[in-house]
Amino acid sequence: MGEFKVHRVRFFDYMPSAIRAVAFCRRTERLAAARADGSVEIFNFADNYFQEKVIPGRDGRAVEALCWVGRRLFSAGLDGEITEYDLENLRPRYSLEAYGGPVWTISSNKQGTLLAAGCEDGTVKMFEILEDRIQFQRNLDRQKGRIVSLSWHPSGAQIAAGMMDMIRIFDTETGHASHRLLVERGAGASKTQEVVVWSVAFLSDSTIISGDSAGKVQIWDGFTGTLVRTHLVTKWDVLVLSVSPDESSVIAGTSEGTVTQFQFISSAVEPLPGSDRQWVRTRTFKNHSHDVRALVHTDTAVVSGGMDTQLVVRPLLDKVEKNTQESALRKITFPHKNLVSCAKKAGLLLFQFPDHLEVWRLGDSDGNGKPGDILPVKRKPEKLIQLNRKGDDQICCSALSPCGGWLAYSTVCGVRLYRLQLDNNNICINKVSKVPKELCSAQQLCFSSDSSRFFASSSQSSVVVVGLQQLEWRHLQTLRPKSGSREPVNLLAPSEDGRWLVTANTDCEIHVFDLQKLKLHCSLPVYASCPTAVSVHPTSGCLVSVHADRQILEFSLEQKEYTEWSRKLQQQGLHPLWLQRDTPVTAVTFDPRNPAHIILHDAFMFCVIDQTLPLPDAKTNLYNQLVLRSLPPAERSRNGHAFKICKSFQNLLSVALLEDRSLVVVERPLQDIAARLPAPVRQKKFAT
Amino acid sequence: MANMAKTQRGETTSPAKKAATKIPTENFNLCLESSEDEAPEEVTFEDSKARALRSMKQTLDTARREKELLKEKRRKRQELFQEQKKRKLLPDEVLEEIDWSPLKKQKQTETEAEEDKGEEEEEEAESGNKKKERTKNFKGKYTVTTVTEREAASFQRQAAEDFIRSRLYGPGSCRSTNNEVLSLQNKTGKIKSAAAQFVKKDWAPEEKAKAERLKKRWIHKQQLPS
Repeated sequence: MGEFKVHRVRFFDYMPSAIRAVAFCRRTERLAAARADGSVEIFNFADNYFQEKVIPGRDGRAVEALCWVGRRLFSAGLDGEITEYDLENLRPRYSLEAYGGPVWTISSNKQGTLLAAGCEDGTVKMFEILEDRIQFQRNLDRQKGRIVSLSWHPSGAQIAAGMMDMIRIFDTETGHASHRLLVERGAGASKTQEVVVWSVAFLSDSTIISGDSAGKVQIWDGFTGTLVRTHLVTKWDVLVLSVSPDESSVIAGTSEGTVTQFQFISSAVEPLPGSDRQWVRTRTFKNHSHDVRALVHTDTAVVSGGMDTQLVVRPLLDKVEKNTQESALRKITFPHKNLVSCAKKAGLLLFQFPDHLEVWRLGDSDGNGKPGDILPVKRKPEKLIQLNRKGDDQICCSALSPCGGWLAYSTVCGVRLYRLQLDNNNICINKVSKVPKELCSAQQLCFSSDSSRFFASSSQSSVVVVGLQQLEWRHLQTLRPKSGSREPVNLLAPSEDGRWLVTANTDCEIHVFDLQKLKLHCSLPVYASCPTAVSVHPTSGCLVSVHADRQILEFSLEQKEYTEWSRKLQQQGLHPLWLQRDTPVTAVTFDPRNPAHIILHDAFMFCVIDQTLPLPDAKTNLYNQLVLRSLPPAERSRNGHAFKICKSFQNLLSVALLEDRSLVVVERPLQDIAARLPAPVRQKKFAT
Repeated sequence: MANMAKTQRGETTSPAKKAATKIPTENFNLCLESSEDEAPEEVTFEDSKARALRSMKQTLDTARREKELLKEKRRKRQELFQEQKKRKLLPDEVLEEIDWSPLKKQKQTETEAEEDKGEEEEEEAESGNKKKERTKNFKGKYTVTTVTEREAASFQRQAAEDFIRSRLYGPGSCRSTNNEVLSLQNKTGKIKSAAAQFVKKDWAPEEKAKAERLKKRWIHKQQLPS
């Protein structure tokens, strides 16, 4: 497997933000998740829950609700604006002031023609959805007290609004309120406190289901406006409700971190006269330690997110086949893109936070010890620079050049480049002025290995190539693929020898550009799954790409065809345990001393693939490192296989190989994140 | 400013006090002298009347003087305030230019810190004559905007955020702390360990310092009797 000196980095203070809202688009199988810092992430559920896109937030934009209308994504927040996102350029397309104070909720009707927004001042505002924008149409009757939640009747004729102490049903034709359903306050001390109807759901049989701050899930008859049934779910709040597409199941997320399911089934125990089916509380899932604030019921799964910053996909076992990969619980904790960039030659690390960047110098030690030893640290790692961003927009990508002399970051407004000079104790950072006008904003940034060029991906999958000289940058060329894809580039990888530049976009296309001729060299055959990591081998010139379904492909750029090894791998197939791993491979690197080695990592392991060894078949033990260690050396080579997996490091954000052949492993222990979360509810545990 | 007021107050009070204290002592001295030297002298009615009148006049005088001093102090203060207010206002020509500017609404552009300050001052100056929101471009890249609209929006937003916070984390929400939950995990999990704040080295330094102090004190106490 090879021995490495490992820098175990645990000082990246990455803190994800709480998930505030989620919305699922059934047509495209995309889930949008909004975080408390205003950023929006798009996950592709059809492609192994891969996080395709991240739209960076902005200071002062707090997203409170998300809504898909067809393929368009809208959000609204407490800043009182409704925003539509540009999913191709990963930025807000426009924002429209709703003029009703903070907007608590938005919801579109099933037909996709109207968008209703519930505002702080008690109005429900209707917006007409036009081709390229939305336009205010009218207000429904203004109520006293804020509108916290909204739900359309599937016919679009009525809309239910959850407010303080009550639910109102509006007729959307006339705009008048037709019913007023009073919600009972909680018992005890909270009797004096108004109850907030955090969430309502309007079903096609005119049943209204509400979840409120007294911890009740209530079922109402929408024709008569009467209460049918009350389920007391929690002592705290029921924060969010979601209905399955076939309306046979409703889930409720609570402050306790539980998700409770209710199903519309016939109850043999207490049959009601008239109808034999009723809403019965069935299951409870506890996958969160903190409040569940966002919930979606897809066809087969419950997707929940909340204050503990994790997105949890819990398949419903009556909808999927048991004991398959589909039925496994998924927790998405870390972003599926790199937040760390490593200067291989200088031994520097760049950490990207939404509002600042940090440059650290790695520590050092006397490099002697047996494998498995912890070496004493001679020089401690030190933070050299903290660079706060300019303006209100969050940093969407950043890069540090391999020599450690250049630093660049981009927001949706622009790209900034800095020249770093690190002498022994002198740190000097200078902004490089005069941005080339072609470089307005970038989704991905990187430097060439000799730090003479700078690449920035731009709109429509194009890449801007910029030449760097002493305190000067100059636009050389804009590279465009021939496919004409409008999707953003999610990966950018220059080769070590400076000959190739590989781009991958969320349309699953991989393009290779020749940097000497500055034009397109070839496009790879499109594989159905989105690439999550690409890299070019430094000596053989082969392109290795790993996809969201964990397939590994190797493509020879000289011959423009898949290599022998790749074909063999495809024929034999990857090990089932490898295919079942639940986090994507986020980086591919190579070991220059061992050209046959490919180093990959996901969040819970890193792996060295030795291309000279036989591939494992389905029956062999994939994680065989411990077994091999116990065997005598003669038998080791007989039992070994190509995948050498190391799990001693967990919760990995980055693995990089430095020039001196030491490995940098950036970990972020989950407990450190948990220690900084807001307060959970107080729960009595037996015998504590 | 505060200092000045204090000194002023000191000055004003001291003479009054002096006057108040002087009179009785003088009187007392007089009495003493008369009692020591001779037999009680006959005091005519006119004399005593004159003395009484004089003392009455004196007290009236002091009262009046005090009042005047107070008045003076107030006047000075008022002047100071007015001067301060004047200093805060923009120069006249700027105000005039703003007054002449056509009323038209423009998009808020980026403003630097300086201009922001300018805006606020301008807003203050104009708050008397209530006019609608409007912006004005000066020569260069300066923009002057009234800020009421934005302020109101941010206030509403703040109120909304406070509402959520008070509902979820406010009094009566029965919240514990992360520390408790993590410590409970450490306590009940398979691998037992101490409370979270003691396991993590860099967490809760002040609590750890406190624990250290308590430990020292305890050791000290143990050693004392032996």
